[in-house]
Amino acid sequence: MTSVVTGDAGFARPWRLSRRAARTLKGVTGIVLMLVAWQVSVPIIGMSSYFYPAPLDVWAAFVDLVRKGVLPIYIADSLGRYGAGVGIGAALGIVFGIAIGLSRRTSLAFSPLFKFLFALVEVAWIPIFVVWFGYGVKTIVLALIYVVFFPVMYNTLLSVRTAPAVLVNAVRSLGGGRIAVMRYVILPSALPGMITGLRLAAGFAFRGLVFGEFIAAKTGVGYLIFEGAQSQQTSRSIVGMIIMGLMWLAIDQFYLRPFERATVQRWGLIVDAADRR
Amino acid sequence: MLRVPAIATAVAIALFALYTLAGFIGGARKLDAIEPPPAARGDYAITLAFAPERFHQQWLQDRGRVVGVKGSTVFMRDVERPALRDIAREYWVTAVARWSGP
Repeated sequence: MTSVVTGDAGFARPWRLSRRAARTLKGVTGIVLMLVAWQVSVPIIGMSSYFYPAPLDVWAAFVDLVRKGVLPIYIADSLGRYGAGVGIGAALGIVFGIAIGLSRRTSLAFSPLFKFLFALVEVAWIPIFVVWFGYGVKTIVLALIYVVFFPVMYNTLLSVRTAPAVLVNAVRSLGGGRIAVMRYVILPSALPGMITGLRLAAGFAFRGLVFGEFIAAKTGVGYLIFEGAQSQQTSRSIVGMIIMGLMWLAIDQFYLRPFERATVQRWGLIVDAADRR
Repeated sequence: MLRVPAIATAVAIALFALYTLAGFIGGARKLDAIEPPPAARGDYAITLAFAPERFHQQWLQDRGRVVGVKGSTVFMRDVERPALRDIAREYWVTAVARWSGP
């Protein structure tokens, strides 16, 4: 008689990876495959490294930029500008979001202006900021504040307005005043929205950073992308693009996502779709 | 709950501290080689590990007056002591020497 074993029954699989390790492995495999395909395609396409650099050229450019001390200073400059712009922009967005969400008068006064300004992308403002504040940090930080402000403000505003009325009434019926309503209902229920807005804005801010540094800086990762293309060192531009992507991934993975998850766990209404997979 | 941001911040601070410490030690070693010790303001020849690019010239220009470049050496005038310490701390600066002019 022949017995057939189906599935995993009866067999231990010591090599079986955890779900997280399997997900990481799949991600790494995708990147490795892409790099191999890219490297193989270079001799097939047969263009000069100025037009189409190979991954090894990009690696050599990265090593050169680190050896010459350019990359650490550019990364530090970009992170400083990014931190200042995102921090100030988020703080202003939260303050205005709460104010507009709570007060009808403030809403009437500011909403039309903000709707108008929201339509104007930061790139349109940068030349004006250059005229007003000159080349350098101020202009870039202002552009970042502009980029970050609107997503944070609108998400905060929406969260404040959709705070559960039943909880507001409950606090009021227990004798709580405006401050108690704010502290125990509005802010906790708005926090996940604020963090979601911040996460969205923090991603947009990298676009603002690249544009800002293209136009108004002589250092920074955005400037490296621009300068590399101008000086026919395309590999350096690609290094800049990769560094920019890695910076965003690190900020999202190590700060924004954990903060979002923490607020969701504590007060949340949102479920992170990526975590369910 | 916020263990990941705390660890990431701690690692970033530790790396920054190491980088700064290495800069301090390396910088002090390079400046110790200058005899007599650097005055409040002076002229110096800064040797890099490679021919300087525009970035390095601009960076040095912010810390003194770049008056010439020969090979991998940049000649600077009116460098103040704190700026000289800044320059010496960079790992891509291999040597700092007093310069008495062309």
